[in-house]
Amino acid sequence: MNWNLVSLSALMLLALNVNAADDAQIKRGQYLSTAGDCVACHSVPGGKPFAGGLALPTPIGEIIATNITPSKTAGIGNYSLEQFSDALRKGVRADGQHLYPAMPYTAYAKVSDEDIKDMYAYFMNAVEPVDSPTKATELPFPFNIRLSMAAWNLLFLDNSTFVADTGRDPEWNRGAYLVQGLTHCSTCHTPRNLLMAEVSSKELAGGDVGTWHAPNITSDLNSGIGGWDNAQLVAYLKTGEVRGKAQAAGPMAEAVDHSLQYMNDSDLKAIAVYLKALPAQHNPADSKPVYALGQATDELNSIRGVELPADGDKMTGAQIYDAYCSSCHQAQAQGSFEGALPSLLHNTAVGRSNPANLVMVILEGVKRGADGQDIRMQGFAKTLSDQQVATLATWLTEHYGNPQVKVSAAQVKQTRAGGPVSHLAALAQGAIAAGVIVLILLLVWRARRKRRG
Amino acid sequence: MSDQLSADIVIIGSGICGAMAATHLLKQGASVLILEAGGPIDRGRVVAAFRNSTRKSDWMSPYTCSDIAPHPIYKPTDNGYLVQGGPYPYPAEYIRGVGGTTWHWAAQAWRLVPGDMRIKTLYNLGVDWPMSYEELDPFYQQAEEIWGVSGAENTGSPRSQPFPMEPVTEPYAMRRIRERLAPAFPVVGNTTARNSRAYDGRPACCGNNSCQPICPIDAQYHGGIAIQTAVDAGAQLQVNAVVYRIEHDDKGHIVAVHYFDADKQSHRVTGKTFILAANGIESPKLLLMSASDKYPNGLANSSGMVGRNLMDHPSTSLTFDADEELWLGRGPQSPSSINTMRDGEFRSEHAPYRLDFTNISRVNSATDALITAGVYGAEFEKQLRHRAAFEMSLKDVLEVLPNPENRISLSDQKDKLGLPKPKVNYAIDEYTRKGAARSHKDFARIAEMMGGTNLRYSAEGSFANNQHITGTMSMGIDPKTSVCDSYGRTHDHDNLFICSTGVMPTSATMNSTLTAAALTLRTAQHILPNRIIATEQGRG
Repeated sequence: MNWNLVSLSALMLLALNVNAADDAQIKRGQYLSTAGDCVACHSVPGGKPFAGGLALPTPIGEIIATNITPSKTAGIGNYSLEQFSDALRKGVRADGQHLYPAMPYTAYAKVSDEDIKDMYAYFMNAVEPVDSPTKATELPFPFNIRLSMAAWNLLFLDNSTFVADTGRDPEWNRGAYLVQGLTHCSTCHTPRNLLMAEVSSKELAGGDVGTWHAPNITSDLNSGIGGWDNAQLVAYLKTGEVRGKAQAAGPMAEAVDHSLQYMNDSDLKAIAVYLKALPAQHNPADSKPVYALGQATDELNSIRGVELPADGDKMTGAQIYDAYCSSCHQAQAQGSFEGALPSLLHNTAVGRSNPANLVMVILEGVKRGADGQDIRMQGFAKTLSDQQVATLATWLTEHYGNPQVKVSAAQVKQTRAGGPVSHLAALAQGAIAAGVIVLILLLVWRARRKRRG
Repeated sequence: MSDQLSADIVIIGSGICGAMAATHLLKQGASVLILEAGGPIDRGRVVAAFRNSTRKSDWMSPYTCSDIAPHPIYKPTDNGYLVQGGPYPYPAEYIRGVGGTTWHWAAQAWRLVPGDMRIKTLYNLGVDWPMSYEELDPFYQQAEEIWGVSGAENTGSPRSQPFPMEPVTEPYAMRRIRERLAPAFPVVGNTTARNSRAYDGRPACCGNNSCQPICPIDAQYHGGIAIQTAVDAGAQLQVNAVVYRIEHDDKGHIVAVHYFDADKQSHRVTGKTFILAANGIESPKLLLMSASDKYPNGLANSSGMVGRNLMDHPSTSLTFDADEELWLGRGPQSPSSINTMRDGEFRSEHAPYRLDFTNISRVNSATDALITAGVYGAEFEKQLRHRAAFEMSLKDVLEVLPNPENRISLSDQKDKLGLPKPKVNYAIDEYTRKGAARSHKDFARIAEMMGGTNLRYSAEGSFANNQHITGTMSMGIDPKTSVCDSYGRTHDHDNLFICSTGVMPTSATMNSTLTAAALTLRTAQHILPNRIIATEQGRG
């Protein structure tokens, strides 16, 4: 062995490795960054990890995720640890400009100093730098003024790191730390107010993610996950499915595929323990657990020997189910005998009082794996009309879910178009003067509240 | 509706060949107009119609027969569309509708074996193809990648690139048959366009076992997918457009086609290049119908060979009860076969063949048979259980040699639009019959090795049709004896191409669609070679 060469490479390594991070630290940082699911937003399907470019639809316009590789020209290669920390926990870029809260810094604010250091070590040392810049985000006035976020932060950012509750055991505390922080569950699962901030009194009571619905995951027996045991919750987070309860699709499938499946069982169990201890948020529409509705039944007698109507929109729910669904989900929606093809009764997508996910799964199917290439169920957006989707969804909830839930063709049409149109930008522009007054009032209210608290 | 329909490329027929040609040509920047005689086909409606059908084994029953563009129907009664001229019946089944006949195939995606293309040279029979297997190999590969084909390596068809897909899990019955027949008979997985994993936006097979008449989830490739791809790529599709005449100028150049719409209004469609892709019976029918003063025997027919040399793969079968429970019906319908008799010196004596094992659930056929035999009540249930578990069946898939007397011609009967119905003359020769006799030795040995009892051979001298319509517009080097060249360009018309199983000059022993698709891609790339575009990404 050429000793000189070895020492030379060691020196070079040292010189390169300015942060002198050790492998264990980088590994921890990688785990934490995976738990934080940075890659989900900061990559495009098929693109280089963390190179940014994904357009995130928000009610105020598209926000383009940035390049967070350690590229010195296009990424965060010049960030100091403090700048990195500020971006994650305060929503402030190295140049002092504010980030939009599409970046979940309100959650990451809870992350400990130690973990931030580990993540920094990982990003700076182990992520491949990509020198291609991303498109800039261009939002309408007034949101194009990033300083407006400073006021928003004043109202809605609690930038204190996580403080353990000594009255609770370490497992609960670990779960709370992850859920409130890195895994940023509340980003989707907590409803937001008019100004797009999470409503903290309704923590994890269910929120909307574009046209999908992130359900109630509080401890409520009927509306939430109160009836799930810890093992089921861990299995769901790890695999995206628990037979007889739920299958992940849409954004939750992505969260499982990119992030949650890589977390260790003790962390997942801690998350389960924390969720099950959350204050129950009950929706009165849920008179039974949303996974426990429906029974195996069919309406074959109404359709056998009856010719299909020429106009597809006139097909009955039973006819649409027979044509498009029953091959896999079986005649009585009971699924395959071993459960690999899911049952539609005892299924949260059908049982929930909010039918958004039912409609979305009919339209887009269930796609898993890298870039959604593993098609567990085909989507029917191209095959079925708005009326057919509405007829089918209503028929499914009537037989296998909550019979009170109806879906209209207009709802389906709106879903296809990307959901309800947001008037936030117009509102903000029209009421900007009034807004300033409201803002001042809010600030006064908050200041008083803080003094009281 | 515009009477000024026009495009760079006009394609007659929206089946798997026409659609795949369209997609390639669109990608090269051409405008493409596809004329389809039948109406739209929706997968879910076909599934519903199949479930509602009382004739589950009649794979035509869930498909709507167009009023203005009928296809042959035999059950419950013959609609008389394909006029039988004898001496042997040729009850072809095909679908006139968007996507065409492969809607109800079993996705068998076989290549030829090299010897199939040189039987004149090797065995002094039939004709040689105007190209080599090696020339076709890359086009086979392209088609296989579009379809997502998997298969065994040892079926006699060499390949230079691996299959793009891993095989679907071997059904239990096929595993047992393979184990019991080894080593005397090597049973291998069939070459099929069926997903074992999600591929190109379609899910994996989950074993519905209704490949024919319809895969309910598009796990197998078919013409309906091909035409959707073409339409998504920008093809203009005109349905219920029954082309009844191809028009030429005084130099024999094709200038237009004429079609009737549902109200029998006539429309003229112009284009630069024309592709005839309306299957092996409707295509020669149209060429013959387009006869003019200049071409009194029909277009592309200076050789007199249009409609002639009709071939298929006749089959005889053996059904018996094995001595163990096999439970056919789990997984796809046609998963396994024996391929040792596809080529060899014996071809100078008798037809080569493949031996195909069915995996279609026995419940429907056994129920029919028992009720017909008057078995009811507890005895019925007992026998049905037994048959569903123990019964198995295999068939031979035999080569037919090209013979000009086997042919499609115009009958003197007319359809609703007043267009002539096609007439078929067909016979099964000694070569094929001797092949069947040889295969029956294998049948007997296989039944013995499976401990078979209650052996039921198909009726002596009776051959089932396999719907592999070949030969009617054969390609060849000599314009005096063939209709088109190896690129499917008709010898008589420089801008008229044919994409169809009908251009295959011999039938060989395998399902013909993959070969037709490979020839189609070769034709399309001959019409417009691949553009080299730096920004173009991935597989089409």
